[in-house]
Amino acid sequence: MSKLLEMKGISKSFYGVEVLHSVDLSLDRGDILALCGENGAGKSTLMKILAGIHEQNAGDVILKDEVVPPSAGPLEMEKRGVSMIHQELNLLNQLTVAQNIFLCREPRNKLGLIDYPKMNEESEKLMKRLGENIDPKQKLKTLKIAQKQMVEIAKAISFNVEILVMDEPTAVLTSKETTILFDLIRKLSSEGIAVIYISHRLKEVSQVCKTVQVLRDGYDIATREVAEVTEKDIASLMVGREVTESTAGEFSGDPDDVVLEVRGVTDEKLKNVGFSVRRGEILGFSGLVGAGRTELMEVIFGMRTPETGEVLLEGKPVTIKSAIDAIKSDVGFVTEDRKETGLVLCRDLTENLNYVYWRKHKGFFKNKKVSAENTDKMIKRLNIRCQGPDQQVKTLSGGNQQKVALAKWLASGAKILILDEPTRGVDVGARQEIYKIINELVDTGITIVIVSSDLPEVLSICERIIVMHEGRVTGELTSTEATEAKVMHYATDV
Amino acid sequence: MGAQETEQTFTNRFLEMLKQLWQKNSVIVVFVIIILLAGLAAPRFLQPNNLLNILRNTSIIGVIALGMTFVIIGGGIDLSSGPVLASAGAVLIFLQRMVAETGDPLLPLWLPILAALGVATLLGFINGFIITKAALPPFIVTLAVGIIARSVVMYFTRGATIMGNRVPEFTGIGNGSVASIPIPFIIAMGLFALLHLVLTRSKMGTYVYAVGGNEDAARYSGIKADRIKIFTYMLVGLCAGIAATIEMSRMAAVSGTSSGRLYEFEAITAVIIGGTTLSGGKGRLVGTIVGFILLGIVNNMMIMLNISPYLSGAVKGGVILFAVLIQRRER
Repeated sequence: MSKLLEMKGISKSFYGVEVLHSVDLSLDRGDILALCGENGAGKSTLMKILAGIHEQNAGDVILKDEVVPPSAGPLEMEKRGVSMIHQELNLLNQLTVAQNIFLCREPRNKLGLIDYPKMNEESEKLMKRLGENIDPKQKLKTLKIAQKQMVEIAKAISFNVEILVMDEPTAVLTSKETTILFDLIRKLSSEGIAVIYISHRLKEVSQVCKTVQVLRDGYDIATREVAEVTEKDIASLMVGREVTESTAGEFSGDPDDVVLEVRGVTDEKLKNVGFSVRRGEILGFSGLVGAGRTELMEVIFGMRTPETGEVLLEGKPVTIKSAIDAIKSDVGFVTEDRKETGLVLCRDLTENLNYVYWRKHKGFFKNKKVSAENTDKMIKRLNIRCQGPDQQVKTLSGGNQQKVALAKWLASGAKILILDEPTRGVDVGARQEIYKIINELVDTGITIVIVSSDLPEVLSICERIIVMHEGRVTGELTSTEATEAKVMHYATDV
Repeated sequence: MGAQETEQTFTNRFLEMLKQLWQKNSVIVVFVIIILLAGLAAPRFLQPNNLLNILRNTSIIGVIALGMTFVIIGGGIDLSSGPVLASAGAVLIFLQRMVAETGDPLLPLWLPILAALGVATLLGFINGFIITKAALPPFIVTLAVGIIARSVVMYFTRGATIMGNRVPEFTGIGNGSVASIPIPFIIAMGLFALLHLVLTRSKMGTYVYAVGGNEDAARYSGIKADRIKIFTYMLVGLCAGIAATIEMSRMAAVSGTSSGRLYEFEAITAVIIGGTTLSGGKGRLVGTIVGFILLGIVNNMMIMLNISPYLSGAVKGGVILFAVLIQRRER
């Protein structure tokens, strides 16, 4: 029986560097294939070739026994039944749901104007097919992120889709929303649609996918039936070495050596929040999205002014009104969105790694030698994979970008590091590396405060966990006390 | 076979080298080609006197363009440079033309010049202050400030041309030469050297790139983005003030209507030709130098080849499109 899709010997180079080396992939109708690999392994590139965004340098894409010309663009591929949902949602906030779904191919009436009643009707049908109850006339900006994702899926299946590619679809979803998504994927699969699912979350892979294909450094490593392998197997295929899950111990330092204390912070998002953290401790903040954790960290970092409340460093009250005040007090903040607030993507590593260092030290001119030393040191210390210190940060993989966002604080000598979602969109290998770095940092007396929505992450590295719910602290657990159930109990405040 | 292979790799390497040279310096390559073409089209073009004249004429735009490069790298734009030049020029001429009863200038020359630079920098500060504190688009703010400034100048000059005091120490700035190099060009080059140092070696220069590249990330890194932006607008203001000094001294006269007219667009054109992207975060001053000299050459060739001055806009527009097109292909 012929395959729905075969990709044979696909190779691709960017700027003379080959990033995909003769990769094969095949797919039958109704398949759910997980494509796994670390960041930079070539998953997205391979899928972008399939979706017609990139053109391969060698190899064939064969759809239903027909070789697709490499020059076929995204529109052509959509006509042929291939739709891709990208990691970042590609929707327009100011338009309605229906307008988004039918963007650029709106149904027309006799006068050649857009036939809105028909468009809304069709959109409603699509929503019903997905089992969603979203009004097609609603503006997109009024939707929750999970609903937006549904719109994206509706848009994809509206093209008589036969192959649906999803790049990290659950990165922004809660676990309940993820379950709904999985039901949907299974439903699509039973209708004969093949789904290719890119994810770092191996648990999800084993939940929803039938087969798993692993790429590493642009090479096709293995394809396995999900039923036959464990998550650990997949992880070790991805990194090419055994991944050992770290489990946090108890804080072993001086319990009275409090370096940072926050008292009674209150504003529209926060209600009388207080906590303290000790030198060399790894403190985690858990909670649901919107619990006010990021806002709290912004208060500490001076990017947000609370109505009341105070921050104490080493027992002394301090006024931190801007980032530079925080920097001078040796507080660092790795923000949750490295692209928006963490990095200047169009500049190189040297600059990105030294901004904070330069701000902290006096002098009109940059000291070229010191800057270069800082950069080299950080590239080595955090094992940042790059072509050199003058590579644009934009061209690094997600995990390596995250290391740069972290490294700029280390280069400046920060003593208290706030990490907001430090491993979001980061692959298993880089994730382990970041955990290792965190553990090394606390050994040198640096204090770490982690905000994370990833429960296993919090449980495996934090020595103490504070749980927040709607702007309040609802619970505090040491690592020995903490379980997933207990944290969720506080996070939902039931 | 071995020899053939070596030869091939050698050719490849040579081609690779040419490609790299092109990618890094396409503006300069085009620049050289245009000079050669211009020389072929009109042999008079290459005469030293003509070349020096081009440098003299284009340096006024050049000085503004140097400041404009900072603003554009920082993610902004300044549409008020022409009116700012006129304002500074008016202040300069009004102060400079005052004479004592003896007929000598009332004020020493440096004082009117300083006042002109001060007014220009102040206008730049006003631009930057409104843009950052009111969080308004630079396009609108500088357009409005420019219109106001121009109008105020026209009010005080009553729309007429006001003559200054034609003393050689003043007119010498714009018309003189040192070792046959025009003083305006020397000023432009001196400013370039200084600003290049600031942009590439100082922290401030790096922060201009950072703010233009990603203002939020710059803020979270402790960079005071507002201050950096205000600095860039003050700098382009100061540059317009220096340009005003040169322009005024060439004619010893200011006109509310025509002094500095459309200079802001010429300056922006020079910056764009030089490869600085309007989206901010990227650009080089060397490119701007090439950009404004290229503009000067275009203007000069129009005259040499007897092309109607009404067509100069068509040619310049074409040059911008061409410049942006070749830069697009590099990316």
